[in-house]
Amino acid sequence: MRIVVCLKQIIDPELPATQFRIDAESKRQQSDNHPLVISPYDENALELALKLKEQTGGHVTLLSVGQPSAVSALRKGLAMGADEAALITDPAIEGSDAFGVATALARGIEKLGHADLVLCGCESGDWADRIVGPILAETLHIPCVTFIARLEKHNGGFLAHRVVEDGYELWEVVPPVLLTILSDETNTPRYPKVKDIMAASRKSIPTWSGADLDLDASRIGKAAVRAEVQELTVPTQESRCQLLEGEPEEQVAMLVARLRERKVI
Amino acid sequence: MVSFTPKTSVPFFAEIEMERFTGLDYYRVDELYTDEERLVRNTVRDFVDAEVLPIIEAHHRQGTFPLALIPRLGELGVLGANLQGYGCPGITEVAYGLIMQELERGDSGLRSFASVQGALVMFPIRAFGTEAQKIGWLPRLARGEKVGCFGLTEPDYGSDPGGMVTKAVRRGDHYILNGSKLWITNGTISDVAVVWARTDEGIRGFLVEKGMPGFTAREIEGKFSLRASVTSELIFQDCRIPRENLLPGTAQGLKAAFACLNQARYGIAWGAVGAAMTCYDVALKYAKTRVQFGRPIAGFQLVQQKLVYMLTEITKAQLLCLRLGQLKQAEHVHHTQVSLAKMNNVDKAREIARLAREILGAAGIVDEYPVIRHMLNLETLYTYEGTHDIHTLVLGQDITDLSAFA
Ligand SMILES: Cc1cc2nc3c(=O)[nH]c(=O)nc-3n(C[C@@H](O)[C@H](O)[C@H](O)COP(=O)(O)OP(=O)(O)OC[C@H]3O[C@@H](n4cnc5c(N)ncnc54)[C@H](O)[C@@H]3O)c2cc1C
Ligand SMILES: Cc1cc2nc3c(=O)[nH]c(=O)nc-3n(C[C@H](O)[C@H](O)[C@H](O)COP(=O)(O)OP(=O)(O)OC[C@H]3O[C@@H](n4cnc5c(N)ncnc54)[C@H](O)[C@@H]3O)c2cc1C
Repeated sequence: MRIVVCLKQIIDPELPATQFRIDAESKRQQSDNHPLVISPYDENALELALKLKEQTGGHVTLLSVGQPSAVSALRKGLAMGADEAALITDPAIEGSDAFGVATALARGIEKLGHADLVLCGCESGDWADRIVGPILAETLHIPCVTFIARLEKHNGGFLAHRVVEDGYELWEVVPPVLLTILSDETNTPRYPKVKDIMAASRKSIPTWSGADLDLDASRIGKAAVRAEVQELTVPTQESRCQLLEGEPEEQVAMLVARLRERKVI
Repeated sequence: MVSFTPKTSVPFFAEIEMERFTGLDYYRVDELYTDEERLVRNTVRDFVDAEVLPIIEAHHRQGTFPLALIPRLGELGVLGANLQGYGCPGITEVAYGLIMQELERGDSGLRSFASVQGALVMFPIRAFGTEAQKIGWLPRLARGEKVGCFGLTEPDYGSDPGGMVTKAVRRGDHYILNGSKLWITNGTISDVAVVWARTDEGIRGFLVEKGMPGFTAREIEGKFSLRASVTSELIFQDCRIPRENLLPGTAQGLKAAFACLNQARYGIAWGAVGAAMTCYDVALKYAKTRVQFGRPIAGFQLVQQKLVYMLTEITKAQLLCLRLGQLKQAEHVHHTQVSLAKMNNVDKAREIARLAREILGAAGIVDEYPVIRHMLNLETLYTYEGTHDIHTLVLGQDITDLSAFA
């Protein structure tokens, strides 16, 4: 069983809101030397892959498209227990939209050879487009099931628990398949062990450029973007306090009216 | 559209109380650590946030040590992490220091546990033990399956351990141990105690095992500091210990014991930074949101002065730790340099905790916030492993060549 997990490195989404700044020109979050982390659901995807490997055997490869700094995200993944990792990095890929990222990932997976399972997070922790996985599956010509919380071995394939509004859908899936993963109590990311962190830092992580992957320059980077971000702003949160005067009954009536007005009740 | 709760909240909606500690790095010291060191630090930071902070106030209130965390620390591989071989990973001294910093950010009880286990028990076995002692103890201590303690201090000999009265007398294949040790971290929960005793040939270290006839331990009650830690008295009454439990490398006597303390002090210097960072973090957030006289108290000059003092001293302490770690890694560190860092960082952390407590006003005296807990813990750091004043005398002697001890 060959499993590929797609990891995206992002600015720590748990930084205080006050530290969140947007660069007006590039319409991106300013990096401001903030700590970088693995996009949270990608860690859940990796944990699911590692559990699967422990149960059924297999080989877990990590793949990321990003800046050279993304090596540290891959190292953490290796320290958690992945077998190998590769980074796709090229100035020409910067500014890609989901199609560009998925195109690069697809060529990376082809270069790795065969993959039975491709796992993505269900959404990134920064842009939350929820779309790289499905486009990647389409590009690789394999089926895709989104929002998977659990995976069980079943009839030579898997039973995938897909989270829907009011419960789970159970999908029988047969590799090769791409799944997008969300968090679940069964895939809480493990802590890497100190000795594994040391072993991971000695592993070499190949980096591939667009040329290494024969990427078609017209399908990646800023030029290939199919939609334009018009505006990006940090929403301001305002809270106002209004005191309702009068007798308790009047106050209650006013409160109910206000709540109805705002469609709270 | 599927709706679900993401693991992390979208940043702009995060509330002050819910914000995770994301570090304090005013001088971009992070860039000076290796990827490996940062990953070790972040791992322990995440561990502390998820597994320690939610339970620690309750342990502090009840005066209990979170025993369940011992195997977890073993699993992570942080116990004796800077030692080589025998199941120890041999991480860099800086990475080890960062582990101590993060554990203490959780609670000094946890860091003290790890310091004693790693620096005061595993280190002497590694440095002074026989092959059989190393094989027998180190892997199990590293995994947290066994717990150790270090018995040097006695009721009548604290700062002056050279006067110790605990005695070990040779009888054939055994030593007969008599005396007692006081203020011993982990004492009642230990499987093995590294005990220092006077012999005919001078002071020596012994491995006294739980259950050896004549060895008892009792817990010290009524502590107001390091409450989430076990502190004990060890009592030896004609305690028979096999000759092979002598640590043969301790022939240099007290110097060997000091070598252990030097390892532990190194960790304390880093630990103090962890306690200070969390006090600063809480005080800063509190000051920005607490409104008095119509504006956040962080806007008053006197409060800013306190916050800036905290920031400055923490930044200096971080740099001190990093350089000390580099020297230790290169095996170029002098024990007085460790003394200086322990003395300075604990002293500043103690002041910082007090200032944080002040900034929180009445809220500073309740355990809803971690500040009072750290403030109380730091009283122990100020005293153990050589008091602040004793380290001052150590340094004074080093620069003047004149001893002011006695
Ligand atoms: C017009 C436009 C311009 C943009 N410009 C920029 C820009 O200049 N800079 C910028 O940083 N972003 C930019 N973005 C954001 C954009 O590149 C998104 O990253 C992209 O649309 C994918 O969406 P997402 O990251 O939210 O991933 P989702 O679709 O939410 O991702 C789901 C999963 O796909 C996988 N995945 C996603 N990205 C990667 C990756 N890089 N490597 C490995 N696996 C991955 C992960 O498993 C992830 O959990 C732009 C977007 C648009 C629409
Ligand atoms: C919670 C806790 C855990 C501990 N854990 C351990 C442990 O695991 N193992 C262990 O062996 N010990 C342990 N200790 C003991 C600790 O190391 C001693 O408390 C410390 O060495 C000081 O000794 P003392 O308390 O006897 O103080 P004393 O030595 O009596 O000192 C009292 C005061 O006199 C001052 N003083 C002493 N001599 C001089 C001098 N020459 N000049 C000027 N001032 C002087 C000191 O600075 C101090 O202020 C622990 C202590 C505590 C509180």
